Amino acid sequence: MKKLFMLMFISASFMWAGGLKPVDNVLYQEECGSCHFAFQPGLLPSRSWEVMMGKLTDHFGVDASLDAPTMQTLLTYMQQNASEKATGYKRSYKMNRSIGRYETPLKISEVAYFRDKHRAIRPAMVNQKEVRSISNCVACHKDAAAGDFHDTFVPNYGVIDD
Amino acid sequence: MKRVLIILPLCLASLQAGAFSPQVQGYIQELKAEVKKTDPSFSDFSIERGKEVFTSVHVGKKGEKISCTSCHNANLRDKGENVHTAKMIEPLSPSANPARLTKLKDVQKWLRRNFNDVYNNDGTALQRGDVLYYINAN
Ligand code: HEC
Ligand code: HEC
Ligand code: HEC
Repeated sequence: MKKLFMLMFISASFMWAGGLKPVDNVLYQEECGSCHFAFQPGLLPSRSWEVMMGKLTDHFGVDASLDAPTMQTLLTYMQQNASEKATGYKRSYKMNRSIGRYETPLKISEVAYFRDKHRAIRPAMVNQKEVRSISNCVACHKDAAAGDFHDTFVPNYGVIDD
Repeated sequence: MKRVLIILPLCLASLQAGAFSPQVQGYIQELKAEVKKTDPSFSDFSIERGKEVFTSVHVGKKGEKISCTSCHNANLRDKGENVHTAKMIEPLSPSANPARLTKLKDVQKWLRRNFNDVYNNDGTALQRGDVLYYINAN
């Protein structure tokens, strides 16, 4: 009995607020969701967002420039919800933990935790018209906007276990 | 008199179709003034030239061949798909999508970004005016 209590206590202390905090900012949703899925700020640390927002004229090869006040408003929201702040959320905690202190990744898809979770993905699963890029989270995770990445379905391949 | 009153709103309605929003119309005037500075004989923007701006292929910012129609559908009344991210883009034609070309801030933001992606520069006043005429006519 004592053991059971201990176990319950331990598992309770590992309860998360949720998988990943969904985007709750209309401006962010519009501005950062116009070209692709609006990646939740909790997927990368502040220092990554700061660097990214400092060079929007060359954002992964495209021009995503914004006027300075809009950029600043967005950055403030991103800093407040970045992975190192949102540690009550499982994915933020794990992303953050797998990024070295001196690393500043600009791609979510290059972080070790992400790569490990996607090790079963073969190029052919990505290089098809329904997906086209590993950054296209919603192509395989239909509930990505809700911060839920557990439900996975790779178009034309189905459920792949990691 | 009654007849005139009936006809008047009809005329206004037909004038409205195809007209730019007041904000965007103001921008068109600015662009015209800009072109006249270097070409005093300039009279008006052209849908025909705008079509060329929209459909011609260029080596863009990424060093790859690209055109406006790489993301927007060549048929402006249909949905397009972003060539880089595969995300769907609502039709660009204001007749199919009334929200288009209404907010000047959005129009300027996207012309700046998209000209850079396709032409590797901001686009000249002539190119911007021509392409807005073309989009508006479709
Ligand atoms: C003009 C289009 C455009 C806008 C606007 C835009 N992006 Fe992007 N973004 C891209 C492209 C293109 C890529 C590269 C996608 C790929 O490689 O598949 C990208 C990639 C990313 C990635 C890396 C994805 C990965 O694989 O990990 C992040 C993070 C990102 N964008 C965040 C943002 C944020 C935050 C904003 C708002 C400030 C924003 N983007 C606005 C076009 C845009
Ligand atoms: C080509 C399809 C595909 C794309 C695109 C994709 N994923 Fe995944 N993802 C998977 C698969 C398959 C798994 C492993 C599923 C499993 O473990 O049940 C997975 C697992 C995950 C997990 C761990 C889920 C868990 O239950 O442990 C996270 C978090 C995740 N993905 C986030 C993302 C994010 C963020 C993006 C976009 C930047 C993305 N994924 C893009 C297919 C994809
Ligand atoms: C790389 C993809 C891409 C290319 C190439 C591209 N656009 Fe766009 N364009 C977009 C996206 C994304 C939006 C904003 C999404 C939306 O509003 O649905 C947009 C929006 C616009 C708008 C805003 C309309 C409004 O009022 O809402 C105009 C105007 C426009 N594009 C014109 C052009 C022109 C002209 C070119 C060629 C010089 C071009 N685009 C090339 C992706 C592209």
